Amino acid sequence: MIPLYGFLEGDTIGLLILAQPDDTIEMLAEKLQASASVRVAPRPRVSVLHGKRVLDPGGTVGRSGLTALDRFDVVVERT
Amino acid sequence: MLKREEWLDLARDVDWEPSYVSEEELFPPEIAGRPWLSREDWAGWDEPYKTSFPEYVTKQHEKDASVYAVRDAVGRVEDYEKLDPAWANGLKLHAATLPLAEFAAVIGNLRAARFGRSSAWRTMATFGALDELRHTHIPLVVMHELVRWDRQFDWTHRFYHSNNWVAIAGRHLIDELLLASNPIEFAVATNFVFETGFTNLQFVGLAAMARGAGDRLFEKMVTSIQSDEARHAQIGGAVLRILRQHDPAYAQALVDKWFWRSWLLFAVVTGFTMDYFTPLAARTLSFKEFMQEWVVGQFLQSLEEHGLQKPWYWETFLQSLDYYHHMVYASAYTYRASVWFNFVVPSPDERSWLRQKYPRSWGELDGIWERVSERWGQADPDNDFAVHGTAIVSFCDLCQLVLSNGTPARNSAVVVEHAGKKRIFCSEPCRWIFEHEPERYASHNEVVKRVLAGEAPANLVALLRRYFGLSYDDWGKDAYGGRYPWIVRPTP
Repeated sequence: MIPLYGFLEGDTIGLLILAQPDDTIEMLAEKLQASASVRVAPRPRVSVLHGKRVLDPGGTVGRSGLTALDRFDVVVERT
Repeated sequence: MLKREEWLDLARDVDWEPSYVSEEELFPPEIAGRPWLSREDWAGWDEPYKTSFPEYVTKQHEKDASVYAVRDAVGRVEDYEKLDPAWANGLKLHAATLPLAEFAAVIGNLRAARFGRSSAWRTMATFGALDELRHTHIPLVVMHELVRWDRQFDWTHRFYHSNNWVAIAGRHLIDELLLASNPIEFAVATNFVFETGFTNLQFVGLAAMARGAGDRLFEKMVTSIQSDEARHAQIGGAVLRILRQHDPAYAQALVDKWFWRSWLLFAVVTGFTMDYFTPLAARTLSFKEFMQEWVVGQFLQSLEEHGLQKPWYWETFLQSLDYYHHMVYASAYTYRASVWFNFVVPSPDERSWLRQKYPRSWGELDGIWERVSERWGQADPDNDFAVHGTAIVSFCDLCQLVLSNGTPARNSAVVVEHAGKKRIFCSEPCRWIFEHEPERYASHNEVVKRVLAGEAPANLVALLRRYFGLSYDDWGKDAYGGRYPWIVRPTP
């Protein structure tokens, strides 16, 4: 289990997200959106950032470079 | 026969030169504070409010009698039942946070009464300690009646003895500010920044709102307290004046640190009460407008008079005036079971008012309340957990409050590695405060770190019950059970 600080664009608070190393980055975004859904309706097209780096949605948390107690951001994709 | 003014100057500054021990042994720098200046350097210490013990006691007796007369007239449960239900939650917030913080201030003042470096300062700090003892008693006496009315008022007496997240944040601030500070830091932090800078907001601004809300007793209580604060707050400027002459960088650092820490506390306690719990008709000004009048304008003027700069993070602070307490309120609404008071969803009229008062930020915040209202529309009334968060929220390693700084578009939390351990801070000022004195803060863990260490349960309900010390009857709920006239529910 990897505890991470998740920040969803449009939300008012950071949340603790418990990720598994083999969770995909897409699943990580879904976990944060579900956790914040009482305040922010889930958006279909989002990106996950670790610092300024956009993470591959199909890659896993374990291979993404995210380590325990890192911050990640879920931001709305702008086309 | 001396004139009164001459007598007061003489009596409050009676002192002696130690002969059996040195000045430094009598006032060790570890307790008296640094810079450790000579006796002569402190000789010019002066503040404008002067009083003698008989005058003090007579005046305080009159003020107490006046508060108790109002309590006898309008302090019964039946009187409170007539008030707006939202307003009572501001009282619960104050009933929990105020009395023991004031008691801690007794101790801070007593340390100054012993280790302050000027005799006049020690005399005034003695009065300050008596003031703060009075400020402990008044809210306890005035609001005790409410314990039998509402269990949440009963819980306010357990607050500081619990591991509730607000209590952890409160203790982290109060312990450092009032119990651990040496007299120099105490005078700058408490007397100058906290009392000169911020308490007018509470005791003058909020008192006006209490009057509008029909709560004459709260109004009387806080204005009576303020009359003491105005006197002993003068200690701060007098200490700062001498500190500024000898160590201007330290004086500035203390002001910068304690302005930010005080701001976060007042944003929650006063910000919630002014912008959310006060009935709309009684809101004379917004919290931000009170801040601009009482804190931004007047405090900057005080800083200038002392030859100090505005804190380095001033632009960040100005931005947070538009966002911070709104972001914490919205977050806390959706985690209301984690505290001991109830919350309300702002009505369409209140949201219009907030949009008008906060044009820079409300557009980013209103959607949260749209979403919360939508969720209530899909839930049965009183089913609070249908409109409640379930994930564990995260907390700042310095202020211990939730990570709700910055803006919804960009939360300002920052992760920093220190001594091989990751820390998260809600804002750059909190990070700066930690990094300035890591030895003071590094051993303290915020709630998430306690969960990860196995000291606190990870399951939210278990955390509320077993660690925060709340039960279903005590914990916060929607004040109306989600029954709002503007919320549309599908007909069965």
